[in-house]
Amino acid sequence: MAGSKKLKTALLYVLAFVVLIIMVFPYLYMILSSLAPWEQVDRKIIPTKLTLRSYEWLFTGGDGVVPRPWLRAFFNSIFVTLSSTVLMLVTAILVGYSLAKLKFKGSRFLNNVILFQMFYPAVILLIPLFLIVRYSGMYDTYWAMILPKAVSLWAIFMYTNFFRSIPDELIEAAKMDGAGQLTIIARIVLPMSKSITTIIFLFLFMERWVELLWDMLVVNNEKMLTLNVLLAQMFGPYGAYPGPMYAASVLLTFPILILFIIFSKNFKEGMQFVLK
Amino acid sequence: MASPYLIYSIIFFLFPLCWAIYLAFTNWNLIAPDYEMVGLQNFIEAFFSKSVRAAFWVTYKFMLMFVPIVIAGSLCLALIIHSLPKLKGLFSVGYFLPYLASGVASAIVVNGVLSYNSPLNTFFRHSFGLDIDWLGSPILAPLIIALMMAWKFMGYYALLFLSGLESIPKEIYEAAEIDGAVGWKRFWHVTVPMLYPSFYTVTILAVGLMFGIFTEPYVLTGGGPDYSTHTWQLEIYNQAFEKLNAGYGTAIAIINSVVTFASILVFRKVLEKWGARHGWE
Repeated sequence: MAGSKKLKTALLYVLAFVVLIIMVFPYLYMILSSLAPWEQVDRKIIPTKLTLRSYEWLFTGGDGVVPRPWLRAFFNSIFVTLSSTVLMLVTAILVGYSLAKLKFKGSRFLNNVILFQMFYPAVILLIPLFLIVRYSGMYDTYWAMILPKAVSLWAIFMYTNFFRSIPDELIEAAKMDGAGQLTIIARIVLPMSKSITTIIFLFLFMERWVELLWDMLVVNNEKMLTLNVLLAQMFGPYGAYPGPMYAASVLLTFPILILFIIFSKNFKEGMQFVLK
Repeated sequence: MASPYLIYSIIFFLFPLCWAIYLAFTNWNLIAPDYEMVGLQNFIEAFFSKSVRAAFWVTYKFMLMFVPIVIAGSLCLALIIHSLPKLKGLFSVGYFLPYLASGVASAIVVNGVLSYNSPLNTFFRHSFGLDIDWLGSPILAPLIIALMMAWKFMGYYALLFLSGLESIPKEIYEAAEIDGAVGWKRFWHVTVPMLYPSFYTVTILAVGLMFGIFTEPYVLTGGGPDYSTHTWQLEIYNQAFEKLNAGYGTAIAIINSVVTFASILVFRKVLEKWGARHGWE
């Protein structure tokens, strides 16, 4: 009886592991294909030998093919995603704190504004926002990719709910000691919200990193493109060079995978809060 | 402290919102210095347009494929994680990894896996003599995109089911066992009904997602073959930024929003009615 239970558990782990391999298979395929000799790309799942030719070609180009600014695009992506994400976090913390803990004239109005914005479909704003970017001279600049994406209503919502659970007495006590609101946020509120901040940061970062439509619309200059947009644009023209396309996909995908795995220590617990 | 936010909202929300409503009644083409108010013409034109109608139906077709696949898949993942005595966190993270994929990168992988000389196609050719034009078929192409989306979101939705599974009290299982419900019977008559809140959330999320598909069809199929993967977002993008019909494109965006809103409302009502009949509020 005990033996059959043990066997059952072992089989469960085998099943879980096999499913895991299936789920990450596209990632494995991507990295193996990026390292495969060109005649084996998309012809063999596991290449017989490994080479860096695809990566070399990506950065130096080949016969009659001008190299694209992949490295520059990679740094554009990091700069845009990081700036945008940090702004989204800061606005969410400030607005969330105001809504949850401050009593001020118009707080109900603000609450209603945010609720309205949350349920409002963003797609209607796409064309007018593009026009604002064009007429304000932000077109082809980092600002175009960062400023209109500086607020996340989802993050505001999450922080407001979380801050409501912080006892008022803590904040009152700090006020008695003469602390200003910003000091209270920095000294009391933020240290209490480390795990939720990690999760929110990860989600905002991931979603911003893979944004295609907006970044594609507001930037035309090749030097300003994000990696995701450059990759999408090269999908057709590099069609005859699948190896380098896989190399570029690895460049796009693996930094964020690694970042996520590093920060995922308390992922399951943090997610339970976010999902509620 | 929140007043900068209000100013931001006026510039990046209220103002473009008013502009959008105005634009939808014009025939502006993004370039011409002048344009006219055309009343409801954009909306009427959209109603009879082949590509708008395609986008409308394609969305429900995607739903029909994506929602059952993603629900079954994520429920299975959640059941696997839940049944493991240890390493739950590790496998939750592992199954979640597809969510990090950019639609562009997964389109490249799918395109490669389905290319003419790929191991998959070679296998079909040698074993069955079949040459399958995966992305050229109006039935297979949307299915492939639905599968890509399901792969991406399965691990995410599994976490919702997992927290549902963990909130089922042990006493209920014990009581069910006394009544003789074990194995599959227990799963269908105890676990599934108790998971109603998770089913509700996942279904609404999955349905809502179908109205916003852009990246995968844009890169992989361009909406084809024969409009079979032509989504709302592609239609709006094409009209506004390829054909430069800013007014018409905005009108379609407004129609898209109304359709999305109404569809989600209907789904919610149906699910709530169904839940209420089975004792959920």
